[in-house]
Amino acid sequence: MNCKTARVLMSAAVDGEISFKEEKGFLSHLSACKECCDEFDDAKKTKMIIKERIIQFKAPQTLINSIMQLTNFDTRETEETLLYE
Amino acid sequence: MRIYLEPGRFQIMDKPAPTHQTKTPTKKEALSREERQKQLEFQNEAVVHLHSLYNYALHMTMNPDDAEDLVQETYLKAYRFFNSFERGTNCKAWLFKILKNNYINRFRKNSKEPGKVDYDLIKDFYHSIKDTRRDSSEADTDYFHSLLHEEVYQALHSLPEEFREVIQLCDIEGFTYEEIANMVDSPIGTVRSRLYRGRKLLRVQLEEYAKKYGFNTGDDQ
Ligand SMILES: [Zn+2]
Repeated sequence: MNCKTARVLMSAAVDGEISFKEEKGFLSHLSACKECCDEFDDAKKTKMIIKERIIQFKAPQTLINSIMQLTNFDTRETEETLLYE
Repeated sequence: MRIYLEPGRFQIMDKPAPTHQTKTPTKKEALSREERQKQLEFQNEAVVHLHSLYNYALHMTMNPDDAEDLVQETYLKAYRFFNSFERGTNCKAWLFKILKNNYINRFRKNSKEPGKVDYDLIKDFYHSIKDTRRDSSEADTDYFHSLLHEEVYQALHSLPEEFREVIQLCDIEGFTYEEIANMVDSPIGTVRSRLYRGRKLLRVQLEEYAKKYGFNTGDDQ
């Protein structure tokens, strides 16, 4: 495998979207190519930092209520479901 | 762990706000058994994703009112067409697809101006949380950990939408490539390469922040 092919597979490898066969070739290229190896580490780190540092906002209560009304559920019950999702 | 913030209050919510009951028992009793079944299923499958949808809408519109409208529309449509949801597939992905279509219809096709992009509000969200820069006792190569939530947010939002979108759907929402491809109406190969390029662009942005704080990002060696 060359660098070009390795880079095509890079994100798939980060996200576990790579086939077993592809992964074998990819990893063997990485063991021989420092540049791709570094890039792979950086891509994994970038994914991690996004997962770790982007804050999730809680939907406002007015919105929760109106969705509840839409389906006419008991508000309190569903709120608990949402909080412990 | 995910921290949920409630807009307009600027605080971390770890307890539910007091509930104002809006029950209409007479209507409920009048519902057919079938309709009630549908509601229950909708609740378990669709309503549980409310926070995720709201977050995504907020990222797209950068405006809490628009985000709320979008999510509301999405649930209305989803409920109406719930029968067409393919059971056993990912309901969250189905809802995101509806949300995205709504967004395009509202703000692109009809060229309705989205509400004012509220960067200050977003900034306030981030300032309201205790965001401490971690001491980097580890090697300099782990400079990523020193970045603040707000900086990462800004870096993400500095990316062109096509890149930001796939990164969010993949890294924050955890969708598969197949699900993302379906949402953005592009082949899987395109998703893959957008993720690759998007992450590279993002890294450049993050390194800019890190450099400001004197971290050695390894580029100058
Ligand atoms: Zn290489």
